[in-house]
Amino acid sequence: MNFVHKLGSLSLIVYVFIFFAFIYLPIALIVIYSFNADPVNMMRWSGFTIDWYRQIFGFRNASSEAALYIESTDQLLAAVRTSLIVAASTTAVATVLGTAAALAVFRYSFFGKRFYRVLLFVPMLMPDIVLGIALLIFFVGVGISLGVGTIIIGQCTFLISYVFIVVSARLAGMDRTLENASADLGADEWTTFRKITLPQVMPGVVGGALLAFIISMDDLVITYFISGTSTQTLPIFIFGMLRRGIKPEVNAIATMMLLFSFAIAALGLYLNRRKR
Amino acid sequence: MAESIVRLEKARKAFPLPEGGTVTALDGIELEVARNEFLTLLGPSGCGKTTLLHAISGFVELDAGRIFVDGDDVTERPPHKRPVNTVFQNYALFPHMTVGSNVGYALDISGTPRMERDSRVGEALEMVGLGGLQNRLPRQLSGGQQQRVALARAIIARPKLLLLDEPLSALDRKLRQAMQIELKTLQAELGISFIFVTHDQEEALTMSNRVAVLDGGAIQQIDTPRAVYNNPANEFVASFIGASNLFRGAVKGNTVVTAGGDVIQVSVDTTSMNQVTALLRPEQYAIANGERDASAAYMDVTVRQIVFTGAGYELHGETASGHTVVATIAAAQQTQVANAETSRRATLSYDPAAVHLIPASGGKP
Repeated sequence: MNFVHKLGSLSLIVYVFIFFAFIYLPIALIVIYSFNADPVNMMRWSGFTIDWYRQIFGFRNASSEAALYIESTDQLLAAVRTSLIVAASTTAVATVLGTAAALAVFRYSFFGKRFYRVLLFVPMLMPDIVLGIALLIFFVGVGISLGVGTIIIGQCTFLISYVFIVVSARLAGMDRTLENASADLGADEWTTFRKITLPQVMPGVVGGALLAFIISMDDLVITYFISGTSTQTLPIFIFGMLRRGIKPEVNAIATMMLLFSFAIAALGLYLNRRKR
Repeated sequence: MAESIVRLEKARKAFPLPEGGTVTALDGIELEVARNEFLTLLGPSGCGKTTLLHAISGFVELDAGRIFVDGDDVTERPPHKRPVNTVFQNYALFPHMTVGSNVGYALDISGTPRMERDSRVGEALEMVGLGGLQNRLPRQLSGGQQQRVALARAIIARPKLLLLDEPLSALDRKLRQAMQIELKTLQAELGISFIFVTHDQEEALTMSNRVAVLDGGAIQQIDTPRAVYNNPANEFVASFIGASNLFRGAVKGNTVVTAGGDVIQVSVDTTSMNQVTALLRPEQYAIANGERDASAAYMDVTVRQIVFTGAGYELHGETASGHTVVATIAAAQQTQVANAETSRRATLSYDPAAVHLIPASGGKP
């Protein structure tokens, strides 16, 4: 009996180990191989190097002469810049609109409120490819030329949903009598919003904004459809590189994106904890 | 009507129920609160007392009727334009602000100069015994301290009227009793009217100048604590305030005879009454010694249970007809209590003059 019990808990430990290995091993490999000196075969370790990182930032070095895969550093940096511009713009717009929608649904009861809430959830559940095609057809049909502008508009359609959900969750936990107390002490609605409501929902707003930023930086499918031919975001650029084989620089770029995402997530956690 | 600080005229409010229909929270309330008065709204949950308070503070809009504060019609005014402040049930302190900012909130909103604001915040905190805690956050304070902050925040703007929505319900018994006395003292010092909502009848009787007993959205009785306790207007008030033994029956000379055949001696003028409810408070009873006194009345009961309460005993018994009787017996009567415990029988004595009669028409419809 005791043996069976021990076997059970041992197999559980093994299971948990395999479970996390399954999730994190591929990611760990990408990080490890971003330092692999072998320019051709990713799976063969032939020494430590930071050449791929140097190369991304435009430094020529010995090994890169043999394997210059990145078309040009300028293209990569342009893609990063486009991604940052898009992410910053969509985050700003989606945060304001998503927060406003959450406040409206929280505060007021109006005809069709439930339906309205469902409408706000749906873009998140919509298959990316459907949303991508729909947006493409719409933009072309209306006659808006594809580029940074259409990417921003397109991403906002579903990022608003994310902000809405995160801010709504925060609002649900808020004590509504705080607003009453503020009004009772002589504050009008705008002052109450500024001094009481906004500080209370701020962790939710910041959390929603960071989530929107990460998702925007990462979006490939929808952005791919509505970016047009001359605009490249970072995911589209990487996708383009992959079509001509997996190259060592991709590992380095992926590792940096990973770090960037972690940094933003950590910032979100930190702000959330501090504000509470 | 210059003397009244608040006046409600035919205040009416109904809330829609989620399953359809409406519930009447205020059913034509007429109420007047005098300057410097401590009025308590007392009633079970759902009686409309909180709705009444919210109607005065402005968080609930009336369906009909008018509200005057200090002579001004405030019925249409939003909460932030009414000269009343509220102490909320859960305190509603702003969690992201320090105690000082919480207390100074009303002054910051009204643009009071910095110097004056700071000294008044200090004074208000001093008044509730929290001097020097300006820089703490609400969550770093105990429940009783938070309660005091809420109080300081509500009185700092010197409102004409302070509304208190069950402010002591979250405190433990000892602290609650201490705060009751403090609130009463504070009210006298400040010289402003208090409307205090509670479902705790002891709290209502201890603190108030007058008590308004509410049920079903209507004021059942409004009077001094003594009058409400000793001369309840109807059965609801009698049973809600204090423990009570109610005997419903027909008047026959100097007695009230219940349907079950119990006879209650009374010595009040019953000529104008026919059907009544006789009220006997538990403390009006004693256990008879055996010697009969001509001026007293007696009631034989079967003892069901005797409970020791510290200050005395509580005897739960039944009359011959099966009517439940609760009697509070003084600790001095411990011999009689012991006898009653062994024989399971007791004769209770009471003063017929102390029996209060409630006319049947005054009963709750």
